[in-house]
Amino acid sequence: MDVMTVGTLERTDQLGETEVRQLSAMDVPWVVIVWNDPVNLMSYVSYVFQTYFGYSEAKAKKLMLEVHELGRSVVSTGSREKVERDTVAMHSYGLWATFQTADAE
Amino acid sequence: MKLLRKLFDDIIVMLEPDEAANADPLAAMVGIDSEAVTPSDSAVRRLLPDAVRNDDGEALEFRRLTERSLREEKIGVLRAGALLLERSPLTLTAEQAQQLARAMNDVRLVLADRLDIKTDDDAARLHNVADVEDAEDVESYLALVYNFVTWLQEGLVQALLGTRPA
Repeated sequence: MDVMTVGTLERTDQLGETEVRQLSAMDVPWVVIVWNDPVNLMSYVSYVFQTYFGYSEAKAKKLMLEVHELGRSVVSTGSREKVERDTVAMHSYGLWATFQTADAE
Repeated sequence: MKLLRKLFDDIIVMLEPDEAANADPLAAMVGIDSEAVTPSDSAVRRLLPDAVRNDDGEALEFRRLTERSLREEKIGVLRAGALLLERSPLTLTAEQAQQLARAMNDVRLVLADRLDIKTDDDAARLHNVADVEDAEDVESYLALVYNFVTWLQEGLVQALLGTRPA
């Protein structure tokens, strides 16, 4: 989850402490979760993660196996706009995805 | 391939919005459908799932903002897939292969819903239906078609991944 703090860390250089704290509160990161289903092929899910997110073969496979074996996997993080976009993209590929705030996990 | 094209067409019909004609044209242009409701058909619901869990209001709100464009995108991919299947011989670019794989995936999602495939065990049970002679009723025929499309999609995805089929 280290990815999610990058945006806030960069801002600490430019802003006073109070502003940073406010930003952090508003910047609660959002996540996209892909859920397991018995239909989507493992190969196809891997392919979608590589193609849409540009993930490496190894990362795509790791996430796919999480979905398959644990029933779900966080496949992307970021602003609300980004996870909304990613979730709709997953639906367009036929994957079952939802988005939520990271702290609601 | 005729069968597959027919399946693509069937799903296009399922995805076509009900009241496209009297929708607000400006809203339609930007993909907003303030009348959208959660689809009553479980297969359509699987094609256009809720994007938010455990919050029906939020899920519906998001559906109204995004569902129409998603329907249109899926219909576009299914139409492109149906056109590709008319080619002979069928040679595909990577992008076309992806369109076919996506269209096949939607077909499989709908067939799986009709076949009540809810778990990996359900899916495994249907693997046995692999021959026309095994198809004795509507369900086993659907299972045969499902297995056939699965096999085609797997081959296509393996080709896209640049690996040899297992």
